[in-house]
This record gives sequence, structure tokens and C-alpha cells, in this order.
Amino acid sequence: MSRQSENSTLLEMRDIAVSFGAVRALDGVSFSLKAGEVLGLMGDNGAGKSTMVKTIAGNLTPTSGSIHLSGQPTIFNGPSDARAAGIEVVYQDLALCNNLSAAENVFLGREIMHRIAGIPVAVNGREMRDRAARLFEELQSDTRANQMVNSMSGGQRQAVAIARTRLNKSRIVLLDEPTAAISVRQVEQVLKLIKRLQEQGVAVVLISHRMPDVFSVADRIVVLRRGTKVADVMTAKTSPEEVTGLITGAVERVGV
Amino acid sequence: MSISPIAQNTRNQSWWVEHLNEIGLLIALFVLVAVFSQTAPNFLSDRNLINILRSAAYVGIVAFPMTFVIIAGEIDISVGPAVAFAGVAFAQLVSAFAIPIPLALLLVCAFGALLGGVSGWLKVRYAVPTFISTLALWSALRGGALWWSDALPVIVPSREFRAVLGGDFLGLPTVVWLMLATFVLFSYLAILSRYGRHIYALGANAAAVAALGINSARLRISIMASTGIFAALVGVLIDARLGSGNANAATGLEFDVIAAVIVGGTLLTGGHGRMTGTLLGVLVIAVLANGLVLNGVDPDVQQVVRGGVILLAVLVNAALAKRAHGATGK
Repeated sequence: MSRQSENSTLLEMRDIAVSFGAVRALDGVSFSLKAGEVLGLMGDNGAGKSTMVKTIAGNLTPTSGSIHLSGQPTIFNGPSDARAAGIEVVYQDLALCNNLSAAENVFLGREIMHRIAGIPVAVNGREMRDRAARLFEELQSDTRANQMVNSMSGGQRQAVAIARTRLNKSRIVLLDEPTAAISVRQVEQVLKLIKRLQEQGVAVVLISHRMPDVFSVADRIVVLRRGTKVADVMTAKTSPEEVTGLITGAVERVGV
Repeated sequence: MSISPIAQNTRNQSWWVEHLNEIGLLIALFVLVAVFSQTAPNFLSDRNLINILRSAAYVGIVAFPMTFVIIAGEIDISVGPAVAFAGVAFAQLVSAFAIPIPLALLLVCAFGALLGGVSGWLKVRYAVPTFISTLALWSALRGGALWWSDALPVIVPSREFRAVLGGDFLGLPTVVWLMLATFVLFSYLAILSRYGRHIYALGANAAAVAALGINSARLRISIMASTGIFAALVGVLIDARLGSGNANAATGLEFDVIAAVIVGGTLLTGGHGRMTGTLLGVLVIAVLANGLVLNGVDPDVQQVVRGGVILLAVLVNAALAKRAHGATGK
């Protein structure tokens, strides 16, 4: 587990509140994220995890509070703003197309083109395959660039979705339940992918229900309950039992 | 998204499996030509072969954009009446309104694009299935064409127009060249353009396309507009052949167009199809129709035979798709 110095804070959420009418989905939550850190974001259904992810990804504008990127206050007017700032989200359904190859999926919407006098004339399949192959190599995944998605394992699919986030060298990657829908054997692969991202200096926010997964890769765990932060603790200093208690409310607060 | 059983399957290894459909169609085409050349003495005459190509061309020009429509998971069943309406509208614009021919051509194509685009927009905005919106157009356009022409031919008063668009160029009918140009254009779009790639993606996983920041609404509307444009073009080309606009022209064209696309291996479930398959599908259907006529098969029986051939092709495609794309059928 790598620990970075205090001054490398990449993302800081300050006193974030999000209301939908009378419902307060998030009620003054603050936390920070450092480069190369894996943060486990946990909580029961309705605790505010997805609201927090959507806020970081620019899908939601907080009712109050502020977002700071590398110390600068930032406002996202949409997901493209967040993406431009180096924040990428891998959603649970992965947004893959079964009829396209791994490389075609990685570059979907961001195709590399052959250009004549600056005008895009044709997709550059070879360049995209080569670059996708390099990304899979960096992620140490056995996914092949020309493999069709419908013949892939759950872990390989996740690798394709994660490779997408590496295209524009994102600094922060949010993974929404990446291990929820795959076999136990594949989970190991996905956790390795998360460690590869971490080694490359990417900050990862792992949203998960699965206690063993979070405990095996996360440096730090933040627990939300009913829209408030009830724990912000180094993984080494807590236990699955304590976190379970924090999620359900049996344990009141830790490190907050 | 379900996780399918793992079968090692890459682009290169499955080339033969993926193209089994085209190979099968080529064989079917040769068999049909061989059989008809024996049973009908005039079948292989230059004149008859050109007739086959000409009738294939009217279907083909609409079938290529239709391939995109079906790959995207949509359908346009209004193309037959759209051809008839454009034919009548063009003839009226030129004769009654004295609008210059190039401008009239542009106007009917723009109107075709508008109607197709409206179907796409209804899908995007109100989730109206394109089957329903184009069914409405199917009825409205045929009715409109009959009403505007009093069910009589509307003469296009231009000999040049007939000579150029209805005539020959370098030994082949102009429409055949136009079909080949349409084939090249849509093959380019399907294989080499970003637009085409996004259409395949849209047919497989529309939510993914939207999540990746691709403008899927614009994509859908433009695909639906394309069949409208090319149906209008065919309407004008039929006017050029006949010298008039006819409300009863292209009756059942939608059947031939969709059949050619499906016989060509495009899956109605979306996400899969190729322009080469459609080209072969168009030729198979044209050869079959022509051969049946030359063999003096009863017109009613011809329809039964064509229906049977399409059913057979769909069954073969379903089996091939399973092999090529895995058990999911995608």
C-alpha cells in the first residue's frame, strides 16, 4: 500500500450537500483523495454513494459545498467538464458493444482517424489496435485488441472499460461496483487492474458492497450513512466487522 | 449485460465464419443463373441481363441506406409509397409549378429526408417505434400520391431528363451506375467512417453509445433521413424511366428492399450486417424474380416462391449468426 505525502491532494470534496426537493441525499460530506490512492467508498443502498459518484463525475451539481482539484476550486457543468479535468467513471454496465472488438470499444467515440490535409477520411484500425494492445499490456490484462467483446470473460470486459479511462491519461478513476456481476475467479483480475492503475499514479475511488474486495485493494475507506460521512479511516486500522457496523449503524462513527 | 460462455473468437480467426453468408449467397447466385440459363433460353441475353441489373438498381439504391437503418435496430417500411409520392411530387413540381429539374430533384430529396427524419425524431423524443411511424407514412404517402395525381400518370415534360437519368451511360443503364455509387458510398461509411462505426455500436448497445458522449439522437435521425432521401431519388429515377410520375409505382418495393437486406445477412435485431451482403441479396432477389417470369411461372406462385426463399434465408442466417456471433445471437 503506497502512501503519498500530504501535499499531493488531487481531489477535495468540501462540505458537499445534494438535495432532491425535500430529500437530502448528501448532507455536508467532505473527503480528499491523493494521487495513487485507492479509496473504498462504502455504504448501504440509499446512503448517498451514487449521488457522490455523480457529483464527482459532473452529472450532478451540488446544492452547496465545493470541489477542489489540485487545490483549485472547480465547477463541473456536465460530465464532459469532469472528463476534461481527468476524471473518468466506469459504470457497472461497462457500456460495451458486443459486436465490436476490444480495440473498437476502447476507442468508441474517440476513434483515431487517418487524415488527409487535416480532414478525417478513414478510421485507423491498426493504430487503434496497437494502442489498445499497449494499454492492455500496461494493465497486464490478457485481453487481445482484436478480440470480440461477446467472447470475453468478465475480467477482460472490465479491462476494456478501464483501458478507456487510460486514453486521455485520467488522474482519477471512479469504479462503480466493478466486482458485483462477475465470477469469484474474475474478481482477482479486476483487483489486479485496480492495483495497476494505482501504480501508474491514478487515484481510484472504488464503490463496492463487497467487503473482501475493498479490504484487499483500498488504502482508505470512507463510509456513508444516510447522506453523511460516518467513517474515514485507513484500511489497516479497521476491520470488516467494524465497517459492517458503520454501514448498518451499529457502530456510530470512526475517525470523523 | 450477461456474461456469455467463453469461446475464443477474434476478428481474424472468424473471417470465414463471419463471411459464410456472402459465400453462400454467391453460390446461390451461380446456381440460380445456371438453372435459369438452362430453363429459359433468353435468360443470358445481354438485354435480359441489363433488365435484371436495372430492376436490381431500383431496389439496391434504397437497400444500402436500409441496411444502416436495420443495423441501428430500426426499420423503414414506408419506402415503396415514399418512392411513389416522390415520383408524383417531382412530376407535379416540374410540370404544374415549372420548377427546374435539378431544383425539383433537390426538393423531393429534402422532403424525403424530412419525413424520415421525423420518424427518427419521434423515436428519439417519444420512443415511438419506427415500425409504427413508418407504417403511418406507408399509408399516408401512398394516399397522398393518389390524391395529388388523381391516380393518373403525371407527365414530366422533358426529353433530356428521360435521356440522361432514364437512359444509358457507358453501356449500362444510368440507374445501375447510381446503385454502384450508392454501394461504394455506404460501404465506405460502414467500414471506414466514424459515423458507420457508431451505427453498429448504436444497434448493439444504445445506452453505451449515449454514455460515451456520442450524439445518438442525431445519429438515429440521420439514419432514418437517409432512406427517405434515397427513396425520393428512386422515385425521380422511375419518373425518368417512365416519363411520368405514377402513384402506383414501386408497389411492394419495401418488401423487396427489406428482403434483400435480410437475405444479405443483416440481423433484424440490430448490430450486424454488411453492404456486400445486401448487394448480393439484391442480386439474388432480382435474378430470382426475373427467372421465374421467364420460366412462365404463374405470378401468384412467384410470390409464394419469393416468400419461401426469404424464409429459408432467414433460417440460414439465424444458424450462421449463432456460429459467428456466439450463443447470444448478437
